[in-house]
Amino acid sequence: MSENSRMDENDNDKKEVSQEKMFTLKKWNAVAMWSWDVECDTCAICRVQVMDACLRCQAESKKDFYGKQDCVVVWGECNHSFHYCCMSLWVKQNNRCPLCQQEWSIQRMGK
Amino acid sequence: MLKEKGQLKFEDKWTYMRPIVLKLLKQEPVSPSEWQELFYDVHLVCLWDEKGPMKLRDALHEDIIQFIKQAQTKVLAQRQEEALLKAYIVEWRKFFTQCNYLPTPFRQLESSLQGKTTAGNSSIQGNNIKKGQNDESIVRKLMLDSWNESIFMDIKRRLQDSAMKLIHAERNGEAFDSQLVIGVRESYVNLCSNPDDHLQIYRENFEAAYIESTDMFYRLKAPEQLAENGVQSYMRYADQKLREEEARALKYLEAGSNGVIQCCVNVLVGQPLPVLLAECAPLIKAGETDRLQLMFRLLERVPEGVQPMLKELENHIVQAGLADMVAAADIITQDSEKYVERLLELFRKFSKLVHDAFSDDPRFLTARDKAFKTVVNDTKVFCLELNTGRAAATKIVAPESKCPELLANYCDMLLRRTPLSKRLTTEEIESRLRDVLLVLKYVSNKDVFMRYHKAHLTRRLILDASADSEKEEDMVEWLREVGMPADYVNKLARMFQDIKVSEDLNAQFRTSTARHDAINIKILNAGAWARGSERVTVSLPVELEDYIPEVEEFYKKKHSGRKLQWYHHMSNGTITFSTNGGKFDLDVTTFQMAVLFAWNQRPHDKITYENLRLATELPDGELRRTLWSLVAFPKLKRQLLQLTPSVTNPKDFTEHTVFWVNQEFALIKNGKPQRRGKVNLIGRLQLSTERSQMEDNQSIVQLRIFRTQEAIIKILKMRKKISNAALQTELVDILKNMFLPSKK
Repeated sequence: MSENSRMDENDNDKKEVSQEKMFTLKKWNAVAMWSWDVECDTCAICRVQVMDACLRCQAESKKDFYGKQDCVVVWGECNHSFHYCCMSLWVKQNNRCPLCQQEWSIQRMGK
Repeated sequence: MLKEKGQLKFEDKWTYMRPIVLKLLKQEPVSPSEWQELFYDVHLVCLWDEKGPMKLRDALHEDIIQFIKQAQTKVLAQRQEEALLKAYIVEWRKFFTQCNYLPTPFRQLESSLQGKTTAGNSSIQGNNIKKGQNDESIVRKLMLDSWNESIFMDIKRRLQDSAMKLIHAERNGEAFDSQLVIGVRESYVNLCSNPDDHLQIYRENFEAAYIESTDMFYRLKAPEQLAENGVQSYMRYADQKLREEEARALKYLEAGSNGVIQCCVNVLVGQPLPVLLAECAPLIKAGETDRLQLMFRLLERVPEGVQPMLKELENHIVQAGLADMVAAADIITQDSEKYVERLLELFRKFSKLVHDAFSDDPRFLTARDKAFKTVVNDTKVFCLELNTGRAAATKIVAPESKCPELLANYCDMLLRRTPLSKRLTTEEIESRLRDVLLVLKYVSNKDVFMRYHKAHLTRRLILDASADSEKEEDMVEWLREVGMPADYVNKLARMFQDIKVSEDLNAQFRTSTARHDAINIKILNAGAWARGSERVTVSLPVELEDYIPEVEEFYKKKHSGRKLQWYHHMSNGTITFSTNGGKFDLDVTTFQMAVLFAWNQRPHDKITYENLRLATELPDGELRRTLWSLVAFPKLKRQLLQLTPSVTNPKDFTEHTVFWVNQEFALIKNGKPQRRGKVNLIGRLQLSTERSQMEDNQSIVQLRIFRTQEAIIKILKMRKKISNAALQTELVDILKNMFLPSKK
């Protein structure tokens, strides 16, 4: 595809150049979905998908849809992940990961 | 006077008193002084003569009886019914008036008599209290009892009979003095001295006679009317008669005696019930609301009258509704607007019937709802195939009505920018959406509606095609109001939230990199939006490809712990197509873009299917579909791409089919090619591929199983023990907002 790479260069120039081209891009509405980068997609504590709010947050049935604080995900050093709400309750009783019993320490938080 | 009459005797005084008493009885004028005298004399007798009170009472009794005897002869002298009644009433009135006057002077007598009968010592205060309790005075009771014994017992049969004859005559339309009957009744009521139930005599005699005569009368008349004039005019007759009798009872009977009406209802409605009911179905069919109303009024009075009517109504709605649907099957299966409108029209028709004929009686409303549910969920006209692919082979899924899908389509037409939604005002759209919710109430497989509604909403949001975003959000709230499951409604709400978040993000992205005004990004929550995990791979044209790492880089700075997946089958855009014929803006999907951009390098080449597949890396099915939309877009007269050999179906493309860009492409307006213009080639945004469609169906079936299990556990946790039947009804109750669990 040598032709292709040549066209690339043209592309990287500006639209004035591409005027002779048959099809030019005017607008692109790109759609992507985000999800938590987790190994297991259910929270082992509340058994709800980590993508959804945890059971507690759902039960509070927050009516203010807009600007509502999301129920985020937290990863431990052991790389297991849970709802942050669920885990913060869990560690009050037992400071170990419910899945591997390692000492729990937060590796990173979802944002 | 007190002093000289130290030894006052009853006998001395009575001679003075008697003429006054007689005058009073005869209602002759009594002078004030005579009246005063009487008081005084009674007082004296009671005070001075030990036996005075007893004697006085006996003498009084004697006189009263005497008087009554005279009255009796006067009354009985009348041979004729009416005259007899009249005479009786005249005498009774006279007598009864006296009952109120005569006792007054003898009050002293009463206190002494009572004092003797109750205790020995007659303290006045004690007597007063007693008298207060016993409001019927002794003399009055004496008078009434005497009347009752001497005259009333003798002639009550005759009185009653005459009164009933009069009433009979009135029923036959002859006029007479109603006061006569009323007078008789009054005497019955007032005569009774039983303090606990002062209507006793009246009830046992007068009312009983009245009921009997009424019963006799209509037992004869009703069948006659029915035979002569047919059912419909009979109903009018019965209704009219019932009213008349009610009015008559009000006039002639004491309040609170409804025995008569009950008897009338029994004879007029209860007896010919089967005949009346037979008429019900034809009337409903003909929509004769007036007559139905009449019938309802009649049948409501008998306990088992309404139930069959409900049944008839239900049958009618189901039959008429289904017949209507079947008759219009061709149109409504294709056109969801027509279908929903037809449904609503039916619904309104039946509601009107219930309103007009049965004044919105709750029992009939329930019958309507039940019947309408049957119509809505009927599968005769069209059934929705929950095609589950492999699963279908092992398990037969009961067919379901396609109604929810069509309803969702209709909603989409109202909420999207369409010719329909443009034509209507906001209020009209709102009322129609409400209508949809109304019908939705009757749909049993609501989860199917939810699925389609969500799909439509996704399309509208991604294509930015909502006619009115406020209405969209209203709709979500309405769905919540009608009891859609919260998690579903929350997801819809979440989608709106996501779109807003996305807009902010997009704005930030644009300020961060100034040169990308051609790109709009929507980064959405996979939990709320994604339908299945399947994505379609495509090799993007370089123009697009360049953006990807930049967006991802940007996103990583904003958020952490998230991974992005590009949903190119949802993304879309606008490209400018320049030909010799002019310049056109094309709204296209990203797939279409990928295909079309393949010609940028070699504008006039003919490219084979196989090469296009290599260039775009689209899966076979998607490529065929995309190409088909470019070679045979229904709204275009001149297509964008041309091919050889021509085919009639995307399945017929072969590896060697060749495609080329139609350089003569132009939009045709009023028969003339235009040099400029805009055309939307997106059509219906493909949200899912065939495979994920199948997964979707499967997931609905799967979800139903889960929901059922979940509900069973919920119930059993509460009840611990439950019978199978009770469990089933509770299950239906819990799940009815999503679907109707099948028995299994």
